[in-house]
Amino acid sequence: MGASLPPKEANLFKLIVKSYETKQYKKGLKAADAILKKFPDHGETLSMKGLTLNCMDRKSEAYDLVRLGLKNDLKSHVCWHVYGLLYRSDREYREAIKCYRNALKKLILIILKYFGIYLFCSYAWINMVATLCCSLNPHSFFVCITIGSQDDCKDGMREFKQANVGMGKRKAQMRDLAGFVETRQQLLTLKPNHRMNWIGFAVAQHLNSNGSKAVDILEAYEGTLEDDYPPDNERCEHGEMLLYKVRNLLASAMLVQFLQFVVLFFFAVSSLIRNRIHLTISLLEECGMVERALEELRKKEPKIVDKLAYKEQEVSLLEKLGRFDEGEELYKKLLSMNPDNYRMSIYLHLSLTWYYEGLQRCMGLYSANGQYSPDEIDRLEALYVSLSKQYNRSSAVKRIPLDFLSAEKFRLAAENYIRPFLTKGVPSLFSDLSPLYDHSGKADILEQLVLELEHSIKTTGGYPGRVDKEPPSTLMWTLFYLAQHYDRRGQYDAALRKIDEAIEHTPTVIDLYSVKNVYSPSHRYPLCVSPIVVKGAKMHAPFSENGSGLCHGASKSRILKHAGDPVAAAALADEARCMDLADRYVNSECVKRMLQADQVALAEKTAVLFTKDGEQHNNLHDMQCMWYELASGESYLRQGDLGRALKKFLAVEKHYADITEDQFDFHSYCLRKMTLRTYVEMLKFQDRLHSYSYFRKAAAGAIKCYLKLYDSPSKSSAEEDEEMSKLPPSQKKKLRQKQRKAEARAKKEAEVKEEANATAVSRSGKRPIKPVDLDPHGEKLLQVEDPLAEATKYLKLLQKHSSDSLETHLLSFEVNMRKQKILLALQAVKHMVRLDADNPDTHRCLIKFFHKVGSMLAPVTDAEKLIWGVLEAERPTFTQLQGKSLIEANALFLEKHRDSLTHRAAVAEMISVMEPSKKKEAIKLIEESSNDLISSNGALGPVKRWRLKDCVAVHKLLGTILDNHEAALRWKVRSAEYFPFSAYFEGRCSSAVTNSSYHQMHKLHENGSPNESSLPLSSNGNVEKLEALKDLVIQ
Amino acid sequence: MVCIRKATVDDLLAMQTCNLFCLPENYQMKYYLYHILSWPQLLYVAEDYNGKIVGYVLAKMEEETTECHGHITSLAVLRTHRKLGLATKLMTAAQNAMEQVYGAEYVSLHVRKSNRAAFNLYTETLGYKIHDVEAKYYADGEDAYDMRKQLKGKKHHHHHHHHHGGGCCSADLKADGKPASAETKTE
Repeated sequence: MGASLPPKEANLFKLIVKSYETKQYKKGLKAADAILKKFPDHGETLSMKGLTLNCMDRKSEAYDLVRLGLKNDLKSHVCWHVYGLLYRSDREYREAIKCYRNALKKLILIILKYFGIYLFCSYAWINMVATLCCSLNPHSFFVCITIGSQDDCKDGMREFKQANVGMGKRKAQMRDLAGFVETRQQLLTLKPNHRMNWIGFAVAQHLNSNGSKAVDILEAYEGTLEDDYPPDNERCEHGEMLLYKVRNLLASAMLVQFLQFVVLFFFAVSSLIRNRIHLTISLLEECGMVERALEELRKKEPKIVDKLAYKEQEVSLLEKLGRFDEGEELYKKLLSMNPDNYRMSIYLHLSLTWYYEGLQRCMGLYSANGQYSPDEIDRLEALYVSLSKQYNRSSAVKRIPLDFLSAEKFRLAAENYIRPFLTKGVPSLFSDLSPLYDHSGKADILEQLVLELEHSIKTTGGYPGRVDKEPPSTLMWTLFYLAQHYDRRGQYDAALRKIDEAIEHTPTVIDLYSVKNVYSPSHRYPLCVSPIVVKGAKMHAPFSENGSGLCHGASKSRILKHAGDPVAAAALADEARCMDLADRYVNSECVKRMLQADQVALAEKTAVLFTKDGEQHNNLHDMQCMWYELASGESYLRQGDLGRALKKFLAVEKHYADITEDQFDFHSYCLRKMTLRTYVEMLKFQDRLHSYSYFRKAAAGAIKCYLKLYDSPSKSSAEEDEEMSKLPPSQKKKLRQKQRKAEARAKKEAEVKEEANATAVSRSGKRPIKPVDLDPHGEKLLQVEDPLAEATKYLKLLQKHSSDSLETHLLSFEVNMRKQKILLALQAVKHMVRLDADNPDTHRCLIKFFHKVGSMLAPVTDAEKLIWGVLEAERPTFTQLQGKSLIEANALFLEKHRDSLTHRAAVAEMISVMEPSKKKEAIKLIEESSNDLISSNGALGPVKRWRLKDCVAVHKLLGTILDNHEAALRWKVRSAEYFPFSAYFEGRCSSAVTNSSYHQMHKLHENGSPNESSLPLSSNGNVEKLEALKDLVIQ
Repeated sequence: MVCIRKATVDDLLAMQTCNLFCLPENYQMKYYLYHILSWPQLLYVAEDYNGKIVGYVLAKMEEETTECHGHITSLAVLRTHRKLGLATKLMTAAQNAMEQVYGAEYVSLHVRKSNRAAFNLYTETLGYKIHDVEAKYYADGEDAYDMRKQLKGKKHHHHHHHHHGGGCCSADLKADGKPASAETKTE
């Protein structure tokens, strides 16, 4: 390094490197400039200067300098290495690996030079050596190296190793598994007495689906250890390694089971497999591995410190071996250790298993779909009666039977379960029971049961059949339960009556802390001010100053949201928030409601009460607060502000990219720490990271934005001017002024931050503050040339990671139809049919697709003919279309789903697509739908089938595609009857009607009143009006 | 009924969401990964019957000091799931693991002076005692109680960091569980 420089400059060069390592970038920069003053073309110095600048967030300069450096000194391994580091920092791993390979080659060259063979080497030869080094057999080369004793040679070795380690990490990151195995093996050969290298090699093998090889390696490694190993101080790590090995054995065994299945399948289908005998034998042989795993586990028991993990592993092995009696015993032991731990993670942690479930399995009493024969139910009942005697404090033993019991037995068990919780006042009781509402009949039983309790408490002061009086709070919690119950059943009127009754009932004298804060994890006291005052707002019954009041407030807010009045819901949530300003939970709830009501600016001001970070206005983004970003993005999308919406959706996408990047540092860390089981778990987690719901929602949101952008490209500035000219002069002036101010402010902020960056970096030497966002409103994001190409980027991730979601293929259909990619659209339709052929969206896409195809011109080019041929061949594979015209298929779909509103709407829409002249018929089809009863059992009136959001969708369909405003109006009136709280339909109980100021504002919302089209849709406008309110709340 | 179980890597996203929803001290995903990849036994979650994560405890071992001890980085339970004793159960599970797996002698934590509810839980239910007061521990200037609870850990089982340790990830990662976010200014 810096070899070509005179001593003084060579020392300076070392200083640059040191400064870089200690993050004293400014110092490094100074040293670099000192060298460059004398040697302006020195490649390695230029490179190092670039690398230093990269850390100071001067990216483009960095790349220029590093490239220049490399150009000036192509033979320098330092320059290549630096180039690799630069790519690495930008996550361009493929490029980084290339650079590292080159760096290695150059290093080898240096080392070879010392042996005097440089002159005889052709480049091809070096290339070969380098490849050799990076692959299987580095022995001979390193034998040569170790003979040499020159210091520089050692230096070279060290650097070589560093480069190599870096490459290993990168390969793990890129999942270049074969390459990873090679690199790890090479490192092991380099330094066999280094534990980490053995383990790294084993992990590499494991990841490369070579479980048994991994076991061999680990055993070979154990063989090198002394008998009394491990020393005390490494017991934990060593134990971890042993557990890891057992898991490997298990992993191979699972693979075997899979193979077995495949083989059996083939046996059944054909007898053509030649090697079947050989296969069967080797499989049988390998089947012994579970046994071996258990043996191994038990042999090593004294050395495994994590006893709980040991037992969990043991029980899962016993189960796999079919040794159910032993398994049963062990499960019971585990339960006695923690009767609430009814779940545990086993290997391939995708499958979380319950202790109770495991126990049931061992006893032959388990069914995945929860269906049991009467005899099995009796046995299960007996089992849980005996368990509940043993673990009488566990609520799990009492809750689980509610799943399999039915009718009168269910009623009895449910009542015993519910009573103590109501007495104790457990707020989560309803959510605990809510899965039962999907079991037929149980909701009705629960309703009657709790109504009886309510009646009894009201009349006698106690539960039926009891002499003891209940505390007053029991009634309140009973009402609370009922409110949630009716909310869940869609009976919002009844739900609100119950919650209002609860709020009225709640006594106000209960001490704030004794009730509310059983445990409040953290407190802080932002100043909030006077209680909310909304002029003209309907004031709800006052909340008591205690926790239940808060619960009720939040709960009522939720009911209102479900009932269709997001603005009233947000206002209520804000009231609840003001009752405990120190609690972030109520703050978050309130923010969520505000975003649902499209009050984005207000929501941000509220959220920021908890998220200011020093100078920073809010750290929601830095802290990866994805729920907030998603909800804002969705709100902006509803309001048609595509730029801001995209900004938020892409922010979530960025978090996922960051999390992927996070694993980088852990590749070698975990090998040191020996947390191999978790490490492999983490790698697998990372591989399916993009299938998590937040990512799915963000990607879907972004795609929708791009689709909208494509359908209606953003206005040119000329159009904007024209729009402005329509405004009255006073407003125009204001708007212009504001724009100018905002621009100036942004510019100034950017300058200030830039300066701050420079000084902050030099002072603290820490990571610089992130640069100012130059596009805070996402306007630049809207200027993409090809929105569909952008959409495709995210679509591909969805297709890869969420292929079982209908929405993925629905989006794929929309994108590809616009791109005129007929075959890809067809593929999307096929996926939708596969996933859910009866879904109205599937039907829509299917009909739309073939309708569109049918209207295409006859094929001309070869490609077109090819596509035509595929379509001809594919159409008969859709059973819905076999031997039928599209119109017939549409009619048949209607026949099949006559009673469903959403299906009728889909059929009507397709009629209008295929036969525009029959729109009237289509509208009639919708209007003739009837809102049937689901359950007439309900004690408080019947439960109807239609859901608010479906009615809203139908209303939009009538107003847009079917384009009949009278029908839309009729639909609105009808829906308002069913949903009196809906602000969208201006139901009689909604804030849109009861409260004039809300009414005014509400009209501005896109998802507010359906009559808004005549009003300007400036999102800023409506947010600002809401801000007038906010000033009353937050100061 | 809520289940208390050891956390897996797949729970981390839900834990982060839970943290962001109810606590002012937040961390990036890397910090959660650092915890689970260093001390996988010390993370527990509370999962409700619908499979939703409604509470968690995030804990670690302090390995730089001479006395081997555990530290509670973060503990949260959703407001909707109070009165079930979840915080106590989560804490107990983490403490047991510290003692059993790492032979911790004691466990420490920080709590805001003003947070009476949490303070009561730690002192009355869980047996913590005030060890010290850290002035202006939180960014808004509030003091923290440095609280400790003695475990019955084996005296001589001294967990020591492996000799290759150090330089674990980055300086950020090694930071104490001090709130990564600053405090809300009250103005």
